[in-house]
Amino acid sequence: MTQHVTRSASGNPDRPYDELDISSRAFWSTSADVREKTFALLRERGTVTWHPPFQDQLLEDPEDYGFWAVTRYDDLVEVTKRHEDFLSGPGILMENLPAEFVEAGQSIIGMDPPRHTKLRRLVASAFTPKQMRRINDRIQANAAMVVDNLIEALERDGGQTDFVAECAELLPMHNINDIMGVPDGERQKAAHQMKVGTSWNDPELVGETREEVFTSLLGAMGYMHQLASGLAAERRENPTDDLITALALAEVDGEVLTDHEIGAFFVLLTIAGNDTTRQSTSHGLRGLTDFPEQRAWLLGDLEARLPDAVEELVRWATPIMTFRRTASRDCELAGQQITEGDKVVMFYSSANRDEARIERPHELDLSRHPNPHISFGGGGIHHCLGNQLARFQLKALFTELLTRLPDLEAGEPELTPGNFFNVVKRMPAWRAQNAT
Amino acid sequence: MRVHIDTTRCTGHGMCEAAAEDVFEVGPDGITHLLIDPDPSQRREVEAAVAECPTRALSVEP
Repeated sequence: MTQHVTRSASGNPDRPYDELDISSRAFWSTSADVREKTFALLRERGTVTWHPPFQDQLLEDPEDYGFWAVTRYDDLVEVTKRHEDFLSGPGILMENLPAEFVEAGQSIIGMDPPRHTKLRRLVASAFTPKQMRRINDRIQANAAMVVDNLIEALERDGGQTDFVAECAELLPMHNINDIMGVPDGERQKAAHQMKVGTSWNDPELVGETREEVFTSLLGAMGYMHQLASGLAAERRENPTDDLITALALAEVDGEVLTDHEIGAFFVLLTIAGNDTTRQSTSHGLRGLTDFPEQRAWLLGDLEARLPDAVEELVRWATPIMTFRRTASRDCELAGQQITEGDKVVMFYSSANRDEARIERPHELDLSRHPNPHISFGGGGIHHCLGNQLARFQLKALFTELLTRLPDLEAGEPELTPGNFFNVVKRMPAWRAQNAT
Repeated sequence: MRVHIDTTRCTGHGMCEAAAEDVFEVGPDGITHLLIDPDPSQRREVEAAVAECPTRALSVEP
Protein backbone atom coordinates (compact mmCIF):
# COMPACT_ATOMS: atom_id res chain seq x y z
CA MET A 1 0.00 0.00 0.00
CA THR A 2 1.32 3.45 -0.92
CA GLN A 3 2.19 5.60 2.04
CA HIS A 4 0.78 9.05 2.76
CA VAL A 5 -1.97 8.92 0.18
CA THR A 6 -5.35 9.73 1.64
CA ARG A 7 -7.70 6.86 0.95
CA SER A 8 -11.36 6.26 1.76
CA ALA A 9 -12.07 2.85 0.17
CA SER A 10 -12.25 0.06 2.75
CA GLY A 11 -13.40 -3.56 3.04
CA ASN A 12 -15.74 -5.48 0.74
CA PRO A 13 -19.50 -5.83 0.23
CA ASP A 14 -19.66 -9.45 1.40
CA ARG A 15 -18.62 -9.06 5.01
CA PRO A 16 -21.65 -8.98 7.36
CA TYR A 17 -22.06 -6.02 9.71
CA ASP A 18 -22.44 -6.17 13.46
CA GLU A 19 -26.06 -5.38 14.42
CA LEU A 20 -25.13 -2.63 16.89
CA ASP A 21 -25.11 0.92 15.49
CA ILE A 22 -22.04 3.11 15.98
CA SER A 23 -22.12 4.62 12.49
CA SER A 24 -25.14 6.92 12.60
CA ARG A 25 -25.23 10.64 13.22
CA ALA A 26 -27.89 9.98 15.85
CA PHE A 27 -25.46 7.77 17.80
CA TRP A 28 -22.76 10.46 17.74
CA SER A 29 -25.27 13.15 18.75
CA THR A 30 -26.02 11.54 22.12
CA SER A 31 -23.80 11.76 25.18
CA ALA A 32 -20.76 9.70 26.07
CA ASP A 33 -22.78 7.91 28.77
CA VAL A 34 -25.39 6.79 26.26
CA ARG A 35 -22.76 5.66 23.74
CA GLU A 36 -20.97 3.72 26.46
CA LYS A 37 -23.97 1.36 26.74
CA THR A 38 -23.36 0.25 23.15
CA PHE A 39 -19.59 0.10 23.55
CA ALA A 40 -20.01 -2.11 26.64
CA LEU A 41 -21.97 -4.61 24.50
CA LEU A 42 -19.35 -4.48 21.74
CA ARG A 43 -16.55 -5.13 24.23
CA GLU A 44 -18.47 -8.24 25.32
CA ARG A 45 -18.12 -9.61 21.78
CA GLY A 46 -14.52 -10.30 22.78
CA THR A 47 -13.08 -9.21 19.45
CA VAL A 48 -13.15 -6.43 16.85
CA THR A 49 -16.42 -5.92 14.96
CA TRP A 50 -17.25 -4.80 11.40
CA HIS A 51 -19.56 -1.80 10.86
CA PRO A 52 -20.95 0.26 7.96
CA PRO A 53 -19.28 3.59 7.10
CA PHE A 54 -20.17 6.72 9.06
CA GLN A 55 -23.60 7.87 7.91
CA ASP A 56 -24.08 10.82 5.49
CA GLN A 57 -20.39 11.59 5.21
CA LEU A 58 -19.20 14.76 3.55
CA LEU A 59 -17.45 12.59 1.00
CA GLU A 60 -19.22 9.42 -0.12
CA ASP A 61 -17.02 6.65 -1.54
CA PRO A 62 -18.95 3.73 -3.13
CA GLU A 63 -15.96 1.54 -2.36
CA ASP A 64 -16.05 2.38 1.34
CA TYR A 65 -17.83 -0.62 2.89
CA GLY A 66 -17.02 0.19 6.50
CA PHE A 67 -14.53 -0.23 9.32
CA TRP A 68 -13.42 -2.56 12.08
CA ALA A 69 -14.28 -1.20 15.53
CA VAL A 70 -11.62 -1.62 18.21
CA THR A 71 -13.44 -1.17 21.50
CA ARG A 72 -11.39 -3.22 23.99
CA TYR A 73 -8.42 -1.75 25.84
CA ASP A 74 -5.94 -4.51 24.97
CA ASP A 75 -6.88 -4.48 21.28
CA LEU A 76 -6.45 -0.70 21.11
CA VAL A 77 -2.98 -0.93 22.63
CA GLU A 78 -2.09 -3.69 20.17
CA VAL A 79 -3.24 -1.72 17.10
CA THR A 80 -1.34 1.31 18.35
CA LYS A 81 1.87 -0.69 18.65
CA ARG A 82 1.52 -2.56 15.34
CA HIS A 83 2.22 0.54 13.25
CA GLU A 84 3.66 -1.52 10.39
CA ASP A 85 0.37 -3.42 10.02
CA PHE A 86 -1.91 -0.47 10.75
CA LEU A 87 -0.92 2.70 8.92
CA SER A 88 -1.73 6.34 9.61
CA GLY A 89 -0.76 7.64 6.16
CA PRO A 90 -4.10 6.83 4.45
CA GLY A 91 -5.96 8.90 7.09
CA ILE A 92 -6.64 9.08 10.82
CA LEU A 93 -10.30 10.17 10.88
CA MET A 94 -13.26 7.82 11.05
CA GLU A 95 -15.04 10.02 8.52
CA ASN A 96 -14.17 10.68 4.88
CA LEU A 97 -13.28 14.33 4.29
CA PRO A 98 -11.79 15.92 1.16
CA ALA A 99 -8.15 14.86 0.71
CA GLU A 100 -7.08 18.45 0.06
CA PHE A 101 -8.49 19.46 3.44
CA VAL A 102 -7.11 16.48 5.33
CA GLU A 103 -3.62 16.80 3.89
CA ALA A 104 -3.51 20.51 4.73
CA GLY A 105 -3.83 19.73 8.41
CA GLN A 106 -2.61 16.35 9.52
CA SER A 107 1.18 16.44 9.03
CA ILE A 108 2.97 13.86 11.22
CA ILE A 109 -0.22 12.47 12.76
CA GLY A 110 -1.05 11.15 9.28
CA MET A 111 2.42 9.80 8.50
CA ASP A 112 4.27 6.54 8.96
CA PRO A 113 7.99 5.86 9.43
CA PRO A 114 10.51 6.76 8.15
CA ARG A 115 9.12 10.24 7.31
CA HIS A 116 7.18 10.40 10.57
CA THR A 117 10.32 9.66 12.58
CA LYS A 118 12.33 12.46 11.00
CA LEU A 119 9.64 15.13 11.17
CA ARG A 120 8.55 14.39 14.71
CA ARG A 121 12.12 14.89 15.92
CA LEU A 122 12.02 18.49 14.69
CA VAL A 123 9.57 19.44 17.43
CA ALA A 124 10.19 16.77 20.09
CA SER A 125 12.53 18.73 22.34
CA ALA A 126 9.92 21.48 22.81
CA PHE A 127 7.56 19.07 24.63
CA THR A 128 9.74 16.91 26.90
CA PRO A 129 9.21 16.69 30.67
CA LYS A 130 12.37 18.69 31.39
CA GLN A 131 11.42 21.37 28.89
CA MET A 132 8.01 21.66 30.56
CA ARG A 133 9.76 22.29 33.88
CA ARG A 134 11.80 25.02 32.21
CA ILE A 135 8.66 26.82 30.99
CA ASN A 136 6.48 26.00 33.99
CA ASP A 137 6.68 29.56 35.35
CA ARG A 138 5.16 30.79 32.12
CA ILE A 139 2.47 28.10 32.18
CA GLN A 140 1.57 29.07 35.76
CA ALA A 141 1.51 32.77 34.89
CA ASN A 142 -0.83 32.04 31.97
CA ALA A 143 -3.06 29.98 34.28
CA ALA A 144 -3.27 32.90 36.74
CA MET A 145 -4.10 35.25 33.85
CA VAL A 146 -6.98 33.14 32.52
CA VAL A 147 -8.46 32.72 36.00
CA ASP A 148 -8.23 36.53 36.41
CA ASN A 149 -10.17 36.70 33.17
CA LEU A 150 -12.78 34.22 34.42
CA ILE A 151 -13.27 36.16 37.65
CA GLU A 152 -13.78 39.38 35.69
CA ALA A 153 -16.24 37.64 33.37
CA LEU A 154 -18.23 36.28 36.30
CA GLU A 155 -18.53 39.80 37.72
CA ARG A 156 -19.35 41.34 34.35
CA ASP A 157 -22.00 38.72 33.49
CA GLY A 158 -23.84 38.86 36.81
CA GLY A 159 -22.31 35.82 38.46
CA GLN A 160 -22.67 33.30 35.61
CA THR A 161 -20.54 33.07 32.49
CA ASP A 162 -19.42 30.69 29.73
CA PHE A 163 -16.58 28.68 31.21
CA VAL A 164 -15.30 27.49 27.82
CA ALA A 165 -14.86 30.93 26.28
CA GLU A 166 -13.70 32.69 29.43
CA CYS A 167 -11.32 30.07 30.78
CA ALA A 168 -11.01 26.54 29.36
CA GLU A 169 -10.02 27.46 25.81
CA LEU A 170 -7.71 30.32 26.77
CA LEU A 171 -4.97 28.52 28.66
CA PRO A 172 -4.05 25.95 25.99
CA MET A 173 -4.25 28.66 23.33
CA HIS A 174 -1.72 30.88 25.09
CA ASN A 175 0.67 28.05 25.96
CA ILE A 176 0.84 26.36 22.55
CA ASN A 177 1.23 29.73 20.84
CA ASP A 178 3.94 30.83 23.28
CA ILE A 179 5.80 27.66 22.30
CA MET A 180 5.20 28.07 18.56
CA GLY A 181 5.80 31.82 18.52
CA VAL A 182 2.46 33.16 17.31
CA PRO A 183 1.91 36.70 18.63
CA ASP A 184 -1.00 37.74 20.86
CA GLY A 185 -3.81 38.97 18.64
CA GLU A 186 -2.92 36.53 15.86
CA ARG A 187 -3.31 33.50 18.12
CA GLN A 188 -6.95 34.30 18.87
CA LYS A 189 -7.74 34.51 15.15
CA ALA A 190 -5.87 31.27 14.48
CA ALA A 191 -7.75 29.51 17.30
CA HIS A 192 -11.05 30.66 15.83
CA GLN A 193 -10.10 29.49 12.33
CA MET A 194 -9.20 26.08 13.71
CA LYS A 195 -12.49 25.91 15.56
CA VAL A 196 -14.11 26.30 12.14
CA GLY A 197 -11.68 23.80 10.62
CA THR A 198 -12.57 21.09 13.15
CA SER A 199 -16.34 21.68 13.19
CA TRP A 200 -17.42 19.93 9.99
CA ASN A 201 -20.44 18.55 11.88
CA ASP A 202 -21.54 21.89 13.36
CA PRO A 203 -23.73 24.08 11.09
CA GLU A 204 -23.30 27.04 13.47
CA LEU A 205 -19.64 27.27 12.48
CA VAL A 206 -19.46 25.88 8.93
CA GLY A 207 -22.93 26.31 7.41
CA GLU A 208 -25.61 23.88 6.31
CA THR A 209 -24.97 22.78 2.73
CA ARG A 210 -22.11 20.61 1.56
CA GLU A 211 -20.82 23.54 -0.50
CA GLU A 212 -20.85 25.89 2.49
CA VAL A 213 -19.05 23.31 4.62
CA PHE A 214 -16.31 22.72 2.00
CA THR A 215 -15.83 26.46 1.59
CA SER A 216 -15.59 27.01 5.36
CA LEU A 217 -13.14 24.14 5.90
CA LEU A 218 -10.83 25.02 3.03
CA GLY A 219 -11.03 28.72 3.91
CA ALA A 220 -9.85 27.98 7.44
CA MET A 221 -6.95 25.90 6.13
CA GLY A 222 -6.00 28.63 3.65
CA TYR A 223 -5.93 31.21 6.43
CA MET A 224 -3.67 29.06 8.59
CA HIS A 225 -1.25 28.20 5.80
CA GLN A 226 -0.91 31.85 4.90
CA LEU A 227 -0.26 32.76 8.53
CA ALA A 228 2.35 29.99 8.82
CA SER A 229 4.13 31.02 5.62
CA GLY A 230 4.32 34.62 6.78
CA LEU A 231 5.66 33.71 10.21
CA ALA A 232 8.18 31.24 8.72
CA ALA A 233 9.48 33.91 6.32
CA GLU A 234 9.93 36.33 9.22
CA ARG A 235 11.81 33.74 11.26
CA ARG A 236 14.17 32.92 8.42
CA GLU A 237 15.18 36.59 8.57
CA ASN A 238 15.17 36.85 12.36
CA PRO A 239 15.45 33.43 13.99
CA THR A 240 14.30 32.99 17.60
CA ASP A 241 14.09 29.93 19.86
CA ASP A 242 10.45 29.18 19.00
CA LEU A 243 8.96 26.25 17.07
CA ILE A 244 8.16 28.23 13.94
CA THR A 245 11.88 28.99 13.68
CA ALA A 246 12.72 25.31 14.17
CA LEU A 247 10.38 24.35 11.32
CA ALA A 248 11.45 27.23 9.08
CA LEU A 249 15.13 26.32 9.35
CA ALA A 250 14.79 22.53 9.50
CA GLU A 251 16.41 20.27 6.98
CA VAL A 252 15.22 16.71 6.48
CA ASP A 253 17.21 14.44 4.18
CA GLY A 254 19.10 17.51 3.03
CA GLU A 255 15.99 19.48 2.06
CA VAL A 256 14.12 22.27 3.83
CA LEU A 257 10.43 21.77 4.50
CA THR A 258 8.05 23.17 1.90
CA ASP A 259 5.61 25.91 2.89
CA HIS A 260 2.84 23.32 2.62
CA GLU A 261 4.65 21.01 5.05
CA ILE A 262 5.25 23.86 7.49
CA GLY A 263 1.62 24.94 7.15
CA ALA A 264 0.29 21.44 7.81
CA PHE A 265 2.56 21.04 10.86
CA PHE A 266 1.36 24.43 12.12
CA VAL A 267 -2.28 23.41 11.69
CA LEU A 268 -1.72 20.12 13.51
CA LEU A 269 0.06 21.79 16.44
CA THR A 270 -2.62 24.48 16.66
CA ILE A 271 -5.49 22.00 16.66
CA ALA A 272 -3.84 19.48 18.97
CA GLY A 273 -2.67 22.25 21.27
CA ASN A 274 -5.98 24.10 21.51
CA ASP A 275 -8.61 21.46 21.26
CA THR A 276 -7.65 18.77 23.75
CA THR A 277 -6.77 20.41 27.06
CA ARG A 278 -9.78 22.69 26.68
CA GLN A 279 -12.03 19.60 26.62
CA SER A 280 -10.25 18.04 29.63
CA THR A 281 -10.68 21.29 31.55
CA SER A 282 -14.39 21.59 30.77
CA HIS A 283 -15.27 17.94 31.34
CA GLY A 284 -13.06 18.12 34.44
CA LEU A 285 -14.97 21.00 36.02
CA ARG A 286 -18.22 19.25 35.21
CA GLY A 287 -16.91 16.09 36.87
CA LEU A 288 -15.97 18.03 40.01
CA THR A 289 -19.48 19.49 40.02
CA ASP A 290 -21.23 16.15 39.52
CA PHE A 291 -19.18 14.47 42.26
CA PRO A 292 -18.79 16.97 45.12
CA GLU A 293 -17.27 14.31 47.39
CA GLN A 294 -14.41 13.97 44.87
CA ARG A 295 -13.85 17.72 44.93
CA ALA A 296 -13.85 17.70 48.72
CA TRP A 297 -11.25 14.92 48.75
CA LEU A 298 -9.06 16.83 46.30
CA LEU A 299 -9.33 20.09 48.27
CA GLY A 300 -8.21 18.16 51.36
CA ASP A 301 -4.61 18.26 50.04
CA LEU A 302 -4.66 19.91 46.64
CA GLU A 303 -0.96 19.97 45.92
CA ALA A 304 -0.30 16.34 46.81
CA ARG A 305 -3.47 14.93 45.25
CA LEU A 306 -3.61 16.91 42.04
CA PRO A 307 -1.19 14.80 39.94
CA ASP A 308 -3.38 11.69 40.30
CA ALA A 309 -6.53 13.77 39.94
CA VAL A 310 -5.30 15.19 36.62
CA GLU A 311 -4.76 11.68 35.24
CA GLU A 312 -8.30 10.72 36.20
CA LEU A 313 -9.81 13.90 34.74
CA VAL A 314 -8.02 13.18 31.46
CA ARG A 315 -9.44 9.65 31.49
CA TRP A 316 -12.89 11.00 32.36
CA ALA A 317 -12.80 13.55 29.53
CA THR A 318 -11.20 11.38 26.81
CA PRO A 319 -10.83 14.51 24.62
CA ILE A 320 -10.20 12.51 21.44
CA MET A 321 -12.67 9.69 20.98
CA THR A 322 -11.41 7.95 17.82
CA PHE A 323 -8.38 7.45 15.62
CA ARG A 324 -8.41 5.45 12.42
CA ARG A 325 -5.72 3.21 10.98
CA THR A 326 -5.64 1.31 7.67
CA ALA A 327 -4.33 -2.26 7.25
CA SER A 328 -1.14 -2.31 5.20
CA ARG A 329 -1.51 -6.05 4.49
CA ASP A 330 -3.69 -9.04 5.24
CA CYS A 331 -3.26 -9.87 8.91
CA GLU A 332 -5.02 -11.05 12.04
CA LEU A 333 -6.37 -8.93 14.87
CA ALA A 334 -8.19 -10.31 17.91
CA GLY A 335 -8.91 -13.51 15.98
CA GLN A 336 -10.42 -11.71 12.98
CA GLN A 337 -8.98 -11.81 9.47
CA ILE A 338 -8.20 -8.23 8.44
CA THR A 339 -7.75 -7.48 4.73
CA GLU A 340 -5.28 -5.03 3.24
CA GLY A 341 -6.99 -1.66 2.91
CA ASP A 342 -9.53 -2.25 5.70
CA LYS A 343 -10.13 0.71 7.96
CA VAL A 344 -9.58 0.00 11.64
CA VAL A 345 -11.05 2.57 14.06
CA MET A 346 -9.97 2.73 17.69
CA PHE A 347 -12.54 3.95 20.22
CA TYR A 348 -10.64 5.59 23.06
CA SER A 349 -13.76 6.43 25.06
CA SER A 350 -14.59 2.71 25.09
CA ALA A 351 -11.09 1.51 26.03
CA ASN A 352 -11.04 4.03 28.89
CA ARG A 353 -14.18 2.32 30.27
CA ASP A 354 -12.97 -1.25 29.76
CA GLU A 355 -13.51 -3.16 33.03
CA ALA A 356 -10.77 -5.60 32.00
CA ARG A 357 -8.08 -2.97 32.60
CA ILE A 358 -9.75 -0.13 34.54
CA GLU A 359 -11.35 -1.05 37.85
CA ARG A 360 -14.77 0.53 38.47
CA PRO A 361 -14.42 2.40 35.16
CA HIS A 362 -17.73 4.23 35.52
CA GLU A 363 -16.65 5.98 38.73
CA LEU A 364 -14.74 9.24 38.77
CA ASP A 365 -12.04 8.36 41.32
CA LEU A 366 -9.48 11.14 41.59
CA SER A 367 -7.30 8.98 43.82
CA ARG A 368 -6.99 6.25 41.16
CA HIS A 369 -3.38 5.02 41.13
CA PRO A 370 -1.94 3.70 38.97
CA ASN A 371 -4.18 5.01 36.22
CA PRO A 372 -3.52 3.20 32.94
CA HIS A 373 -5.88 5.39 30.83
CA ILE A 374 -5.17 5.66 27.10
CA SER A 375 -6.31 9.26 26.55
CA PHE A 376 -2.80 10.12 25.32
CA GLY A 377 -2.57 6.92 23.27
CA GLY A 378 -1.83 3.26 23.67
CA GLY A 379 1.96 3.67 23.82
CA GLY A 380 2.84 3.55 20.13
CA ILE A 381 4.80 5.86 17.85
CA HIS A 382 1.99 8.42 17.62
CA HIS A 383 1.72 8.79 21.40
CA CYS A 384 0.54 12.32 22.21
CA LEU A 385 3.37 14.80 21.61
CA GLY A 386 1.88 17.25 24.10
CA ASN A 387 1.06 14.87 26.94
CA GLN A 388 3.46 16.56 29.36
CA LEU A 389 2.26 20.01 28.34
CA ALA A 390 -1.34 18.90 28.95
CA ARG A 391 -0.43 17.61 32.42
CA PHE A 392 1.47 20.76 33.41
CA GLN A 393 -1.37 22.97 32.14
CA LEU A 394 -4.10 21.06 33.94
CA LYS A 395 -2.12 21.09 37.19
CA ALA A 396 -1.51 24.83 36.90
CA LEU A 397 -5.11 25.64 35.98
CA PHE A 398 -6.86 23.49 38.59
CA THR A 399 -4.45 24.82 41.22
CA GLU A 400 -5.53 28.37 40.37
CA LEU A 401 -9.21 27.51 39.98
CA LEU A 402 -9.57 25.49 43.14
CA THR A 403 -7.52 27.90 45.24
CA ARG A 404 -9.25 31.07 44.11
CA LEU A 405 -12.70 29.74 43.16
CA PRO A 406 -13.05 26.51 45.19
CA ASP A 407 -16.85 26.60 44.88
CA LEU A 408 -16.95 27.09 41.09
CA GLU A 409 -19.69 24.92 39.60
CA ALA A 410 -20.57 23.97 36.03
CA GLY A 411 -24.02 23.74 34.47
CA GLU A 412 -25.13 21.48 31.64
CA PRO A 413 -22.45 21.29 28.91
CA GLU A 414 -23.50 21.97 25.33
CA LEU A 415 -21.80 19.25 23.28
CA THR A 416 -20.91 19.46 19.59
CA PRO A 417 -22.03 16.30 17.79
CA GLY A 418 -19.18 14.34 16.24
CA ASN A 419 -17.00 11.28 16.47
CA PHE A 420 -13.52 12.77 16.85
CA PHE A 421 -13.22 15.51 19.48
CA ASN A 422 -15.32 15.25 22.63
CA VAL A 423 -16.24 18.92 22.37
CA VAL A 424 -17.83 21.01 25.09
CA LYS A 425 -18.87 24.00 23.03
CA ARG A 426 -20.30 26.09 25.83
CA MET A 427 -20.87 25.46 29.52
CA PRO A 428 -22.22 27.91 32.08
CA ALA A 429 -20.32 28.28 35.35
CA TRP A 430 -20.98 30.13 38.60
CA ARG A 431 -19.82 30.22 42.20
CA ALA A 432 -22.01 28.22 44.56
CA GLN A 433 -21.90 31.06 47.10
CA ASN A 434 -23.70 33.22 44.50
CA ALA A 435 -26.30 30.61 43.64
CA THR A 436 -29.74 31.03 45.11
CA MET B 1 24.23 -2.33 33.12
CA ARG B 2 24.53 -1.15 29.52
CA VAL B 3 21.76 0.84 27.90
CA HIS B 4 21.46 0.99 24.12
CA ILE B 5 19.57 3.71 22.23
CA ASP B 6 18.52 2.90 18.67
CA THR B 7 18.81 6.36 17.13
CA THR B 8 17.04 5.25 13.96
CA ARG B 9 13.85 4.63 15.96
CA CYS B 10 13.86 7.26 18.73
CA THR B 11 11.59 10.26 18.12
CA GLY B 12 12.19 12.01 21.42
CA HIS B 13 8.84 11.38 23.13
CA GLY B 14 10.61 11.84 26.44
CA MET B 15 8.83 9.01 28.22
CA CYS B 16 12.30 7.79 29.24
CA GLU B 17 13.03 11.22 30.66
CA ALA B 18 9.85 11.01 32.71
CA ALA B 19 10.73 7.51 33.96
CA ALA B 20 14.46 8.07 34.65
CA GLU B 21 15.33 11.74 34.47
CA ASP B 22 18.86 11.32 35.81
CA VAL B 23 19.68 8.86 33.04
CA PHE B 24 17.98 10.14 29.87
CA GLU B 25 17.56 13.52 28.25
CA VAL B 26 16.08 14.42 24.87
CA GLY B 27 18.40 16.78 23.03
CA PRO B 28 17.68 19.55 20.53
CA ASP B 29 18.13 16.87 17.84
CA GLY B 30 14.89 15.24 19.03
CA ILE B 31 16.70 12.07 20.12
CA THR B 32 17.27 10.89 23.67
CA HIS B 33 20.80 10.72 25.05
CA LEU B 34 22.39 8.97 28.00
CA LEU B 35 23.46 11.43 30.70
CA ILE B 36 25.36 8.76 32.64
CA ASP B 37 26.01 5.05 32.60
CA PRO B 38 23.30 4.05 35.01
CA ASP B 39 24.17 2.57 38.33
CA PRO B 40 22.65 -0.83 39.28
CA SER B 41 20.54 1.02 41.85
CA GLN B 42 18.75 2.76 38.95
CA ARG B 43 17.77 -0.48 37.26
CA ARG B 44 14.08 -0.18 38.08
CA GLU B 45 13.71 3.28 36.50
CA VAL B 46 15.75 2.29 33.48
CA GLU B 47 13.67 -0.82 32.91
CA ALA B 48 10.50 1.27 33.17
CA ALA B 49 11.91 3.62 30.52
CA VAL B 50 12.72 0.68 28.25
CA ALA B 51 9.24 -0.78 28.70
CA GLU B 52 7.42 2.50 28.08
CA CYS B 53 9.35 3.65 25.03
CA PRO B 54 6.71 4.16 22.32
CA THR B 55 9.17 3.50 19.50
CA ARG B 56 10.94 0.57 21.18
CA ALA B 57 14.24 2.39 20.78
CA LEU B 58 15.70 1.39 24.15
CA SER B 59 17.23 -1.85 25.34
CA VAL B 60 19.26 -2.80 28.38
CA GLU B 61 21.84 -5.51 28.81
CA PRO B 62 22.05 -7.28 32.15
